[in-house]
Amino acid sequence: MIAAGCGDSDACRKLVEAFLPAIGDLARSFKNSRVERLELLQEGVAGLLVAARRYDTTLNTPFWAYAAFWVRKAMQELVAELTRPVALSDRAVRELAQTRRARSEHLQMHGVEPTTDELSRATGLTPAQVERLQATERTPRSTQEQLTDRDEGTDTIGDTIVDLTAEYAYQQVLDAIEIRDVHNLTEQLDERERIVIRAHYGLGQDAQTLSAIGAGLGLTAERARQIEAGALSKLRAALSQSAPVGEAAT
Amino acid sequence: MSSDGTTLRHNALVYDSADEYLARAVPFLKAGIEAGEGAVVAHTKPGLAMMREALGPEAARVTFVDVSAAYTRPARTLAAFHEVYVEQLRKTPTLRAVADVQFGPDPDEWDLWTGYEAAFNRSFGHLPAWVLCSYDANGTPDPIIEGVWKTHPEVVAGDSWNSSDRYEDPDQLLRRITPAPPPLTGLRPVPFGSGAEEFRERLARELAADKISEARSLDLLLAATEIANNAMQHGGGIQEVRVGRARGRFVCEIVDRGDGFDDPAAGYLAPREGIGAGLWVARQLTWSTEFFHSPTGFTTRIWL
Repeated sequence: MIAAGCGDSDACRKLVEAFLPAIGDLARSFKNSRVERLELLQEGVAGLLVAARRYDTTLNTPFWAYAAFWVRKAMQELVAELTRPVALSDRAVRELAQTRRARSEHLQMHGVEPTTDELSRATGLTPAQVERLQATERTPRSTQEQLTDRDEGTDTIGDTIVDLTAEYAYQQVLDAIEIRDVHNLTEQLDERERIVIRAHYGLGQDAQTLSAIGAGLGLTAERARQIEAGALSKLRAALSQSAPVGEAAT
Repeated sequence: MSSDGTTLRHNALVYDSADEYLARAVPFLKAGIEAGEGAVVAHTKPGLAMMREALGPEAARVTFVDVSAAYTRPARTLAAFHEVYVEQLRKTPTLRAVADVQFGPDPDEWDLWTGYEAAFNRSFGHLPAWVLCSYDANGTPDPIIEGVWKTHPEVVAGDSWNSSDRYEDPDQLLRRITPAPPPLTGLRPVPFGSGAEEFRERLARELAADKISEARSLDLLLAATEIANNAMQHGGGIQEVRVGRARGRFVCEIVDRGDGFDDPAAGYLAPREGIGAGLWVARQLTWSTEFFHSPTGFTTRIWL
């Protein structure tokens, strides 16, 4: 858990794998929220990783009891964001109506959903405008519809396929972990600086002397030392920028 | 900001509803924008969406910051906000910000974030910024709201701006809530060597032996270098270095030969002229950094 909180990718993955079923259980409580399960799981994972970064092992609270708060909060915020009523300007309402008409005509003519580019061409709006308008009328997912209209307590269509959906969603969430932002200072260095720092201090490999590193790069040991010093200064500068207080703003 | 717009004005807004939040925060930001100030809104995603809509066309002149993952450790949160403010102050001479604060569910960590709010006063004390920290009164426990009054000189609650008669000197508050570091047993000595480079080489071997990841090892090497340089320049040199595991974390203690210092905000002060940035850098890169007097000398304990 501590390693995951420190941004260790493997530890993050193991942590998520261990708690994904519990995250899935929490996601179920949002099943009537009109938000896709995959999106809920992804936000839940983000909440879990925030909890891991915050969690102090000296607290008396067990990790999941602590993390569940952040997981639920992340899901609640996603639901609030995606299902909130949106106030549209008169112009946006007209453009939305135009987009709906174009979609309807395309469906009648071709029998398939139009792409954003096709809607853009049909309406004269930019693709970005079309996407924004479509986002404002997010419709309930068919998988969230009640199986019968008479019984409010009945399962949804989505519930009947939940195992397959969940398994697929879990895999997608696990795959997505790789692209989550993980703090790594070496990304701020250029290739040669990274080679020198990693080799000198044995980061992910055996440590080498500056002479050996320099020889490998066709440089002197002193030049390798200069590159290292420059790299450390660069990282320090990135972490200690000061505000231009009192200077004229540009 | 102060009356002359040159230093920090750090206030709080305690609101009962989204409508009240918007009724206070939107005019506050718009007044700043009209006066040529920068504007920053920090909130969760739904909070940002709500604010964008309420600001209307003015939203294009506002920097929006998603705080969903920003509140992890106080020093990192301060650094994240500092980066945003620095960026804004490159464009405008002053700024106004409305920032929602994310306390957690565990009462044992509330002091940590109240300490963050106290440190904010000193950390950004030099910035020409007027920051309004927002707290949703609904569901926020009383001790947290009490902390708001202790850490903000002015609080907006109800219809008025109120001077807080419970405001506590930040240093005093930080001292009161910071527990004395307990002694750690089981750490092993590591010879410092002839200088910072040799120290890093030795420390790197210890990190590798402890199977610390590459990225986190570099964090510690940089943080420890800052502390060691500080000890050599201001602390009379290195007396002793100890490393090991405690509470599941890698720990590095650096003991110097000097008298040390007694500043509870050490390492929380954002970089500025006349103040070294070493401790600020060290805090950002570590889980926690403690400064205290021990029987062997003035000690900096770094928790990775």
